[in-house]
Amino acid sequence: MTSLLRLEHAAFGYAGRTVVADVNLDVESGAFLGIVGPNGAGKTTLFRGILGLIPPLAGRVERAHGAVGYVPQRETLDPIFPLTVEEVVHMGAYGRLKGWRSLPRAERDLAQASLARVGLGDSARTAFSALSGGQRQRVLIARALMMRPRLLLLDEPTSGVDRGAEAHILELLLELNREQGLAILLVSHQIGMVRDAVQGCLWVADGKVQAGDARTLLAPERLDELYAAHGGEER
Amino acid sequence: MLFDDSLADVSWADRISLFRWALAAAFAAGIACPIAGVFLAVRRTSFQGIALPQFATAGVVFGFVLLPWWIEHIGLGDVSAADALSGSHAAMNYHLAWAAAFTFAGLAALVWTGRRSHGSEIGRVAAAFAIANAATYLFGRLSPIGKGHADELLTGEVLGVGLHEFETLAVVLGAALLAFVWFHRDLVLVSYDRETARVLAKRAGSFELLLNVIIGLVVAVGTMTLGPTMLFGLLVLPPLAARSWSRSMTQYFVFAGGFGALAVLLGVVISFELDLPLGASVVAAAALTLLPGFAAARR
Repeated sequence: MTSLLRLEHAAFGYAGRTVVADVNLDVESGAFLGIVGPNGAGKTTLFRGILGLIPPLAGRVERAHGAVGYVPQRETLDPIFPLTVEEVVHMGAYGRLKGWRSLPRAERDLAQASLARVGLGDSARTAFSALSGGQRQRVLIARALMMRPRLLLLDEPTSGVDRGAEAHILELLLELNREQGLAILLVSHQIGMVRDAVQGCLWVADGKVQAGDARTLLAPERLDELYAAHGGEER
Repeated sequence: MLFDDSLADVSWADRISLFRWALAAAFAAGIACPIAGVFLAVRRTSFQGIALPQFATAGVVFGFVLLPWWIEHIGLGDVSAADALSGSHAAMNYHLAWAAAFTFAGLAALVWTGRRSHGSEIGRVAAAFAIANAATYLFGRLSPIGKGHADELLTGEVLGVGLHEFETLAVVLGAALLAFVWFHRDLVLVSYDRETARVLAKRAGSFELLLNVIIGLVVAVGTMTLGPTMLFGLLVLPPLAARSWSRSMTQYFVFAGGFGALAVLLGVVISFELDLPLGASVVAAAALTLLPGFAAARR
């Protein structure tokens, strides 16, 4: 197994103030992990640290070079941009492109293949903003696949979509994990979804991170303990 | 008015020949400014298209205030105070430098206060406009020539633009268009999804700085040459008209430049036929280009 991401006693925060501390994590190819926890507990801070968007305040973070594909929350993307689905997916190749020249044929083929992989092969010329929430999420997964990742990082991938779309997205992620050996790490507040989908999980609360098997750590009786320890916030 | 009754009988060909540099400058701005305006629109900072030209105007007037002292103590090539008002390259560069300095100062203040979340975006831009507007009049009291120049710019009477002004405008707008073409992918990515840009190892801060520098230069040289009225219009109206018809970002850039050129063409016809200031006529024409999009949206 190849380690794609390793955190050793890592701490993350803002303006010198630690939000999560002493995080140890080793993500290997084929892993499927979730980051869960109460609101405001530091999930997003940890996720941003894993992505490299904020530097660690302590400890070490090692990422395999060029291995990461990122799927942001789709609500952060402004519909005022008149982008087609194809234009959004092409962005995944921008890290490999320089200057003004048009996208090479191989990259266009990869974009089409990525769209077909997420079930939207016929939607290349459709306006991105005209798609449903679930379809937009799948386009963003296709864009992440354009990054040729070995590790896919997803921020709240099923937030705000209906049950059918949620099942479709999870099925897609499980296929990518099983068939392509793609390691997946997602952050979510939907504990039931994470428990059913992922192998291992990180529970983030009060600046601390607990790692464990998802079904054990997120079992209903165990969750009651975790939330009680956090101050009784409702699930 | 540049056209009095004695000019009303001048043929179109002669008018085009007589005002060729002004018309060339208007068309260059008509294409380049809306493309810069697209970035203001998609970044939801179009109001900066109103405030920044006012900063540039204040900078131009401030340059006039300082001009006598500058020539005496620092010098402006071999240009005398009288020649500095006649549109020489040295004077153009001097005024461009002040327009750019004030524009960048205004832009930096807006970006800095925005990052520190001091009030709403609209409130901050409105405050910036009020300050720049007041500064223009205060500097104008210290330099009647500068005030007169600013009034001329505000009127939008741009037919007096000559070769020197056109050359300066063409160089700056040409460089801006080149930068937009070369970096368009990165500028769009950073504007649309900054976090993904950073994950892709793009220097998001550097590209945002580049975008601000390009917009600042376009605004500075555009204001100095064509005046804030025409610049307001070209930064805001053609991108708005183009948005209704654009189905992709590529189309958005092309249509915005196209609507800008169309607005200048219509504006020239309106100006020449009705004997109205060219700058304001271009803005009126740009407003007309909005109508088909609104009509289509209602259907």
